Order: sequence, then C-alpha cells, then structure tokens
Amino acid sequence: MSENLYEPIPMRIVRRYDLVENVRFFQVRPVEIERALTINYKPGQFMMISLFGVGEAPFSISSSPSRPGLLEFGIRKIGVLTEELFKLKENEIIHIRGPYGNGFPIEKMYGYNLIIVAGGLGAVPLRSLLLYALDNRDLFKKIYFLYGARRPNEMLFLREFLELKEREDLECLLTVDKDDTGSWTEKIGVVTELFKYLKDIDPQKTYAAVCGPPVMYRFVIDKLVNLQIPKHQILMTLERRMRCGMGKCGHCVIGSIYTCVDGPVFTYWDVLHMKDLI
Amino acid sequence: MDKEKKLKIGFYEFSGCAGDLLTIIHNEDYLLKVWNSAEIISFRLATSKRDEKANLDIAFVEGSITAEEQIEELRKIREKSRILIALGTCASFGGLQSMYSHLGDFSSRFNSIYPHKFTILKPIESKPLESYVKVDYFIPGCPIDFKLFLFNFTRLLRNLPVELPSYPVCIECKWQENNCLLLKKIPCLGPLTRAGCQARCPTHNLPCVGCFGPYEDLNLPSWLKTLQENNIPFKELEKKIRMFFGVKVKEILSKLKNKK
Amino acid sequence: MKAYKLKKEYLKEYLKSLEDFGEVWGPIKKGEIDVYEKITDYSLLNLNALRPILPLKKFLIPPKFNTFFYTKDGKYENALKEVKRKIVFGVHPCEIHALLTLDRLYKERYPDYYYLTHRKSTWIIALSCVPDDKCFARSLNTHFVEEGFDLGFTDLEDYYLVWVGSSEGDDLLRHRLDLFDEKITSKDLNRYIEWRKWRDNQYQLNLDLTAMPDIMELSYDLEIWNEIGERCLSCGTCSMICPTCTCFNIADHLGIDDEPGRRERFWDSCMLKIFALVAGGHNFREKRVDRVKLWYTHKLKAFITEFGKPACVGCGRCIANCPVNINVAEITKILKGEEVKK
Repeated sequence: MSENLYEPIPMRIVRRYDLVENVRFFQVRPVEIERALTINYKPGQFMMISLFGVGEAPFSISSSPSRPGLLEFGIRKIGVLTEELFKLKENEIIHIRGPYGNGFPIEKMYGYNLIIVAGGLGAVPLRSLLLYALDNRDLFKKIYFLYGARRPNEMLFLREFLELKEREDLECLLTVDKDDTGSWTEKIGVVTELFKYLKDIDPQKTYAAVCGPPVMYRFVIDKLVNLQIPKHQILMTLERRMRCGMGKCGHCVIGSIYTCVDGPVFTYWDVLHMKDLI
Repeated sequence: MDKEKKLKIGFYEFSGCAGDLLTIIHNEDYLLKVWNSAEIISFRLATSKRDEKANLDIAFVEGSITAEEQIEELRKIREKSRILIALGTCASFGGLQSMYSHLGDFSSRFNSIYPHKFTILKPIESKPLESYVKVDYFIPGCPIDFKLFLFNFTRLLRNLPVELPSYPVCIECKWQENNCLLLKKIPCLGPLTRAGCQARCPTHNLPCVGCFGPYEDLNLPSWLKTLQENNIPFKELEKKIRMFFGVKVKEILSKLKNKK
Repeated sequence: MKAYKLKKEYLKEYLKSLEDFGEVWGPIKKGEIDVYEKITDYSLLNLNALRPILPLKKFLIPPKFNTFFYTKDGKYENALKEVKRKIVFGVHPCEIHALLTLDRLYKERYPDYYYLTHRKSTWIIALSCVPDDKCFARSLNTHFVEEGFDLGFTDLEDYYLVWVGSSEGDDLLRHRLDLFDEKITSKDLNRYIEWRKWRDNQYQLNLDLTAMPDIMELSYDLEIWNEIGERCLSCGTCSMICPTCTCFNIADHLGIDDEPGRRERFWDSCMLKIFALVAGGHNFREKRVDRVKLWYTHKLKAFITEFGKPACVGCGRCIANCPVNINVAEITKILKGEEVKK
C-alpha cells in the first residue's frame, strides 16, 4: 500500500518561549530521533502542524536546514488551533507533516547579493533564509537584513538579531515605527527608510526576499524596483488558507496556481502577471 | 477524563416544543455517553435530580423568551454560567412564534387570538435569548441535528468554540444526490439556509423551510428573482422566510430594500 | 485494443455475474434524475442515463469520509485501510476524461493515498452514449475515449461492441467468455464506423472554446462578470456536481466518552465565502463575483496551463443543475458576446 502523505509524524516540543506578546517560538524534534536528520527542507518552505481533535494549519519554518535536527516555528496566536498550541508545554507531542512549498530558489541565489526585507511576523520565514546564508556565508556576496517592527517589543528574535550586528560580514538594520521604551538604540522609522543604507549594490547580481504585512509589499517593492533589481529576482512569500499543502484541497488556489506547491515564494514578476496574487 | 474535572452542564428550556432537548434524549445510544462525559447539573426533561444553585460551565438553553417572568429566569442562568448556548432555532432567532412580529403591536395581535385574559404568565413578544443576555454560541435547528450537537458538545468539553457548517443546505443536498427543487421552481430555502440538517426535507422531496436559520452569505435578491420570474409572488416568498428566520428577517429584508 | 461482441439480451446476466468480483454499480433512476447506485435489481438499471447527478468522483473521493482515528492519549491510525471493489457500469466518455484528469491531479505530484486507495478498487465499464441538448463533449473533444476504462461498451443496437481496456477488464470479460462473441466481421466494423459518424453528429450544443484562456484573461475586469456574480446563489451546487471539482475541507470530530476521535475530509466549494478566509480574518475572495470568476478561470483556463486541456469535459451537469442558470455554456456565450436565450 502506498504511503499516506497526509499522515503527520509525532514531534516533541523541546523549547518554547514567547518571542513577543502573542507570538511564540516553538522548537520541535521528531519523537523518533532517527527521523530528526531525515527531514530535509529549504528556507521558505512550510509545514502542516496538526493537533488531533483541533485541526491542522500551515506554518512557515523559521529554522535553517543548515542546522539540522530541530525545527523551529514562530507562531502567532490568531485562531483556535494556535490558541491550543499555546496551551502546550515543553515535552508535549504535536504532529507535523511536510515540508511543503517551493521555498526560496536557494541554488540560484548563490553568488548573489542578498537583501532580506522583513516586516513584523515576516521575520519568521526570512530568518530561515538569513540563517542559511550566514551558515553558508561563502556562497553569497553582500548580505543585508532589513527588519522593521512597529515597536521594540514587537520585534521577533530581537536579541538574536542584535547579536548579528556584531558580525562584519552582514549589514543588519533594525527599525521600529515608534520607540515607546526610550531605550531603543537602533533606527526609528518604517522599513523602507533603511534602503538609504544600501550602498554600491549591483542590482543584476542581487536577490531580494520580502515578507511582511500586505501593506508593506508595495512600498518595499517600489524601493527594490528603484534599485533596478530585476523583477524575477525580487522574491516574496505569501499567505493563503490551506488544508493539504499538496495542491489538492484547492483552498490556496489563485487563478492557475496553487500557493502551496507553486509558492509560497513568488517573484515580483509572478505577482505582476498573475491576477489577485497580492 | 478525571471525574473531578468534568464540566458542570445544565439544560434549560423556555418557550418552544422541547424538541431540541428531546433530540438529545431520544438518541439513547449516546445518552449515557453524554451523561458520562459531564456533570449534568440540571436537565428537567431527563432527571428530577438537579442543583439550581451550582455554577455552570455550560448552559444549553432551548426556547424563546415569551413571558416577562422568563427574562429574570434567563438572567439567573446567564449569571451562573461561564458559557451560554442558544440551543435550537427558537433560542437562536425567536422561532416560529416570532413569525408575525412585524405585524403591528404585540398586544393587539395577542388579544385577537386570545381574547380571554391570561393570568399565569405575563406574555410578551417572542424574542431570542440574545435580546436579553449575552449568548456565547448558537446551535440552531428545528429541532437541532444530533450529530451537529454532538460535534459541538465534544468541542465544548474540550474547551473549543462551537463550529457550525459554513455552507448552505444545498451542499448537503447534493451529497444526498437530490434533484434541485428550485429547478422545478419550488420555493426551496436551501440556498438561504445554513446546513447541518443533512438536507432532510429536500431528501424527502420537500422544499427546505429554513429551520436552521439564515446562511451567512445568502443571496436573497437572486433567489427571489428566480422564483418571481416564475410567477411566485413576493408576499408568498417573504412568508416562507419569516417562518424560521425570526429576528434575522428584518436585517435580511432591509438589505434587500437598500439594494432597490 | 481487443474487442468482442455481447448480445444485448446477455447484458444483465453478464453484469450480475460480475458480482463475483465485487459490488456492481450503475445508473438508476431517482425521480427526474439518475444516481449511481449499487445494483440489486438489474431491471432498474437505466441504460439511457446521461448524467448521474454525482459523477464518478463520488467513488474516488466520497463526499465525506474519515482519514484518521485518534485517541485521547495521542495515538492515531489511518481510518481508510481498504475499499470494497466496485465495478461501475454505464460510465460515459466525458466522465472518463474527467477521471483521467483527476488521475493526473491525484496520482502525480504528491500522490493522494485516499484517492489511490479508492481508485484501485473502482473498476470502470464504459458505455457509449447519445447526447442530449445539454451535452457538449464534442466541443471539448471528450466525446470519445481510448483509455481510462477496464471494459468499454459501444451500443450497436442489438449487440454491444466490447473493448478490453485493461488487464482487469480482460479478467472481467474472461469470467463469462461464453457470453461473448470473439469474431468481429467487416459488417461489424462498418456498423461501428457508421455509428460513430452518426453519433458524433448528434450534438446539439456546440461551443467554440478554442480561445477561452485568452478570453478569460481579457474579460477579467469586464462589467458582465458583476451581473453573473449578482445572480450566483453561492450554493455550491456546481462544485458538488462537476466531475472535476474536488476541493475539500477537513474537520476533526472529537469522540465522546470512550469513543475515538476522527478526522473527516469532505467536499468543499470555492463558491463559498469562507473558502479563502485565512486565520486573522482576511478573505482573499470576499466578493461573490471573484469566486465565480475563480471557478470559471479554473475550469476554462487554469487546467490548460497545468494539464494542457480544460477541466471542463462537457458533461452538461452545470447546465442541468445550476438553479440560476450559470454554467459553462452560458458563461462562454456571455464572454464571447453572443446572444443568450433566457
């Protein structure tokens, strides 16, 4: 009998803590340790997390395949399933299947500059790409990480990203719309204002990856287009309702494509020539 | 589940036929399981044992409010319950007894039907529970569908919210492989009505009467148009909608007027 | 493909003998419509049925079924281990074309266990048909079929020409070889050629669908769609009855007391408002018209991009079943600016 791809595998929550209010970090590992190293994925892919009795939903992977063994997610409490997930403690079991989606075309990005632009929760999937690039630093040219959040206490992975600022082989630029703490030492303003710090970029040799709230895309894309980065080298990851992750259930269909298998990573060119993508 | 941890649940009824509570009782195969999985604090139709003082996790309330005395009683149930659920169409939308609530004032309507004075309770216009207290969830149906009840009962025991079918009766009707009655220009309320009944009436070749209440995305203008084009007068169609949609009728029909 | 002849008077006897292989299903009349049902009384079999209300997909992905059972302690098991073999008789070419499309959708990228399990147990006996005024399979070139069936029956008046389409079909045929005539004469051949010519000319509804992908693209923002959107009841009937609509949803049912819980998969429709709603409340297709557009884009354009042919097979079910007369023929005519008779 053929394999049932809908069958999730049990995973143990090994760590969980709040990244910011209502967004929680989950680090999980297959219960069977032999399976831990067999999960191959690409930055930008997602997995279906299942709680039997509650349901199943897609979540972007936040860890990098360059650090195998553990899977990481940054999950916002937004519905019934995530509320139940938030009730789970370390060492409890959840069920996961995947990975799904095209992920970032990582091989094509080798030898290129990377501009990673994240807004709010968009840092979750882009962290995977960022960590991957840092772990394979020689494969990429300049790396810029631009991350904007509304307030300091809404910035995910803040400490981790602040530490990255000490590295000389990437430019990590963090900004908040508003500092209500008085102790914020990074930039203030929207994420597009960080573009002025990008210097001497050969646009033809650059890939940009964008993820954030829908309102952010247009402004960020304008900036990237102004930098003359080719449309097919501007990548963005999109969100849709999904039930299967395998191009079957139809919920994520947009025109001719399934977000779950043809995406969730699309190029700006895809967005332009396909209707209703964003 | 731990015996200590069982949720305290009460079943109550106001004006209606008790059909919803009877639906629970008549599913004998499940009755013991329902009893096993919760601490039943009150269920007058099923047991004389009850504790009217205990606080409740969940109160299931059937029937609409048709007498002043019931308002106070309902408020008391609300006060002692963490979650209050309107069970059945009367409790959710006012029920059949709200059918003529648009026709003049209540007392003249009441007196024309019952010319002799009532003394037991003080009757008022039939209204759903929501008109008086906060209702956390609705489980409509006339009567409720036991499978849908069970689905949500188990969800509530697990502290999950009530979830109703987010589609109209037509979906279930096609699953039952029925020919569409609208094709024969029979005014079937299927496309206007929330599913959950397994399309019981159309499966018996009878038009849906809308007893599960309105489907959230109903397209009334188009439904009316297709039937009016076949010489079914608006009045007749409106009457069909009024039968079970209760207090929702006003909202639905007002959208229609705005459109025109 | 090997062919045999079966005298019509042997049909019922033959079909009944196939119960040795599994359940025999076929179209049976239910009021004004036909329904694929398990046959117990072979006299009820409607050989003239054109479009059983639910198409073949109901065997391959039933309207609802359990995918998993799970217990409170976190153990779970696959709920579908085996499916009883069904031999479905009376399947028309357009439906088999839909089946071939579903095969590609469900067997190729990420094979779907539940589809495959049902598919393996569903054996198909095709039957030729004569179109009515709602059939437009010829317009889509799905009026004839060369693969996708185990046995294929062509009705040549007093006998059937029976094509053997698969090894399973060969088993079915050999089960009662005594009823079949192996000798195909030139007279039979001529009769078959004549029949095909005649039958292909019986289509009353002919649609020119050649440029549909472009027309769908170019018409996307036209006002005419709004009128169609206003008419649509969002009842989802079209998705339920279309042989290539297979969208689904999943819901977990908790068990009561000591019963196990179950994960249920059931048919869904992109015509429903909730279909593209994501957690947090954003709905990507809030407007009815956007949902109607998606449906027709998916039927007449998207599949061409994906599989090189439209998802519509011309079975006429949308024409027969939409209560407000929105269907492929109507949409095609509207988009092409042709007069539509009311």
